[in-house]
Amino acid sequence: MPTLYERLGGAPAVDAAVDIFYRRVLADGRIARFFDNVNMEEQIAKQKSFLTMAFGGPNKYTGKDMREAHKKLVAKGLNDMHVDAVVENLSSTLRQLGVNEKDVLEVAALANSVRADVLNR
Amino acid sequence: MTLLTYRSAAIDIEPGEDVLSALLRAEIDAPHSCRAGVCQTCLHRAVEGAPPAAAQEGLTEAQKAQGYFLACVCVPKTPLTVIPTDEAAARSEVIVRAIDRLSGDVARLYLEHGPDFSYRPGQFLELITPEGLGRHYSIASVPEEDPHVELHIRLHRGGRMSGFVSEQLSPGDRLHVAGPLGTCFYEGVDPGQPLTLVGAGTGLAPLMGILRDALRRGHHGPIRLYHGARERAGLYLHDPLEALAAKRENFTYVPRALSDPGPEGGDVAAAVLEQELALKETAFFLCGGERLVGRLKRDLFMKGASLKQIRSDVFLAAN
Repeated sequence: MPTLYERLGGAPAVDAAVDIFYRRVLADGRIARFFDNVNMEEQIAKQKSFLTMAFGGPNKYTGKDMREAHKKLVAKGLNDMHVDAVVENLSSTLRQLGVNEKDVLEVAALANSVRADVLNR
Repeated sequence: MTLLTYRSAAIDIEPGEDVLSALLRAEIDAPHSCRAGVCQTCLHRAVEGAPPAAAQEGLTEAQKAQGYFLACVCVPKTPLTVIPTDEAAARSEVIVRAIDRLSGDVARLYLEHGPDFSYRPGQFLELITPEGLGRHYSIASVPEEDPHVELHIRLHRGGRMSGFVSEQLSPGDRLHVAGPLGTCFYEGVDPGQPLTLVGAGTGLAPLMGILRDALRRGHHGPIRLYHGARERAGLYLHDPLEALAAKRENFTYVPRALSDPGPEGGDVAAAVLEQELALKETAFFLCGGERLVGRLKRDLFMKGASLKQIRSDVFLAAN
């Protein structure tokens, strides 16, 4: 039985999703300010690691990494509403790419699984 | 024979071990994060040997051509000498062969270089004065066609390098350069795809190199070059580019001078956003100040251009 990551299409699927996802996030007034980095290449690389993790792909992130990476954003006001918005944009990206609803939910669940670490709770 | 060398030090690496793990084990403070070949934090550059293809997955063609690779997923099979990406570039000596003016405030410099200095048009180098003052300039020449490296130097009133170039430098003088640096060159572009070059001021220099390189490599898709300046006089290659556009069916030149009331007046970024339609298919090269490049990159991306297809080079003002 193929894994979620394999079903979604692996690294090429992450590549296909990242531009659409990042475009949606930047257009979303609720969260754009957290992602509006001058260095767009750096942002895309970060979004790719996030998508890979959420797709169930290879990653060695620890809760500690997640906490460290988001500490500054939490200080700037990052909260549950923003995480909801990210997951929402992620789900609509996948639907736009024709991913079935069961897999969309599975990805959303994986993204949600790091919520506590991201929000440093 | 040692499999891994970092700068000039041999590093112990176990069979099947990745470069990042070996560097960390040798107590080298190599940046890293995901350790899965995704986040690109552990980007390094191989200066000798070829990294395995798996370690270059997800990088741009230009990065691959320069030997960049991801240390966390790089298990070398053949000897590799690696350096961090911020390593200072090698220095070499050059001889000034000619200096002339392209406009009131743009000087053109031709430098003779040794055989050890090899570059791709569009890359940049650091020009270093005998007093040790260094500034970055993009390369407008094409190594296969031009005997000398060509630089366009914007002369700022009161600028130290500007004063040096316009008042002290003469043909025959010897200088040092460091480099070349940068990955903004014609690589990973399909010869049939639309190619759009956008530059402001001396951002035209790398674009001239990239344009000539593209033509030399047989690019047959439509090519559009937008050049922006404040004043009309700043469109310093207006006539030769217009002549080239008349001769080449697939080449269009779009000049825009901010203060000009005529048809060639206005904001170059606005012209790009208005005239560029096949955003998804186009390869973009953006060269100029931070504001122009940042704004255009974002706007083109939001309108549908692929970020991978937008190469850019930001000219930072010297302090």
